[in-house]
Amino acid sequence: MNADRDLLVEAAISAHRRLDPAGEVQFHPAFHDLDAAGREVLYAATRQQRALERALARDGLSATAHAVLRRVRASST
Amino acid sequence: MNVDDTDQELAAIAAGDADAFARWLSRAERPLRRGLARFAAVADTEAVLQEALLRVWQVAPRCVGDGRPHGLLRLGMRIAQNLAVSTARRHRLQPMAAGDELPELSVEPIAMHDDSVRLAISRCRDKLPTQPKAAIAARLDDVGLRPDHELAQRLGMRTNTFLQNITRARTLLAECLRRAGIDLDLELA
Repeated sequence: MNADRDLLVEAAISAHRRLDPAGEVQFHPAFHDLDAAGREVLYAATRQQRALERALARDGLSATAHAVLRRVRASST
Repeated sequence: MNVDDTDQELAAIAAGDADAFARWLSRAERPLRRGLARFAAVADTEAVLQEALLRVWQVAPRCVGDGRPHGLLRLGMRIAQNLAVSTARRHRLQPMAAGDELPELSVEPIAMHDDSVRLAISRCRDKLPTQPKAAIAARLDDVGLRPDHELAQRLGMRTNTFLQNITRARTLLAECLRRAGIDLDLELA
């Protein structure tokens, strides 16, 4: 894997996603700069990262789950 | 209802119980993400999954069971796959049709959190070099709240340096865990 692709994959592994003006979760900007093979690498690496997060968390929740729950709880208050 | 049926949380979720939704998420995320595998080249599956989960929360009060287990999870899978197709089209990427058949749902029994695995991961984290350890700790502790450039700034790193340190940390962690007999790639099996 080349260094540029490594950086793009690593950036997009983050669970941080912005919302668009309509309130919908946006694609990570780095996703658009990856080719198809890089996106497959991203998918696999993200699954591995979320597995690590779930294994470490006492509540078994990944960063994805926390990101969603923050928005759910914010919308309920 | 079978205790392993994720729909045991449905009534509470429908009533607006976010803690019940968290318990459901702890079991639903993995099969839903797996169900997006064939869209990985055309859609940001992390964004699609988060949006699908938010929609599941919104429609849960209207989810009526059909007598089969995991009804809300099956609904979530349908929402996620349709979203993957529609967002890929919006971004002018060539989407694959969602199809009528949902992938087989493989839901694990209620998670028994494994303290020995957690301890092994913590030991491997402790052995990481300083900068990679700090970078991956920032990412893990933040759980998706802040963008990377903010996390990097807090650590006094440039964003690219921060990302390089996380990549290095993840590689070293995986090697350490393999030596400890823990293979995160099994997650992909």
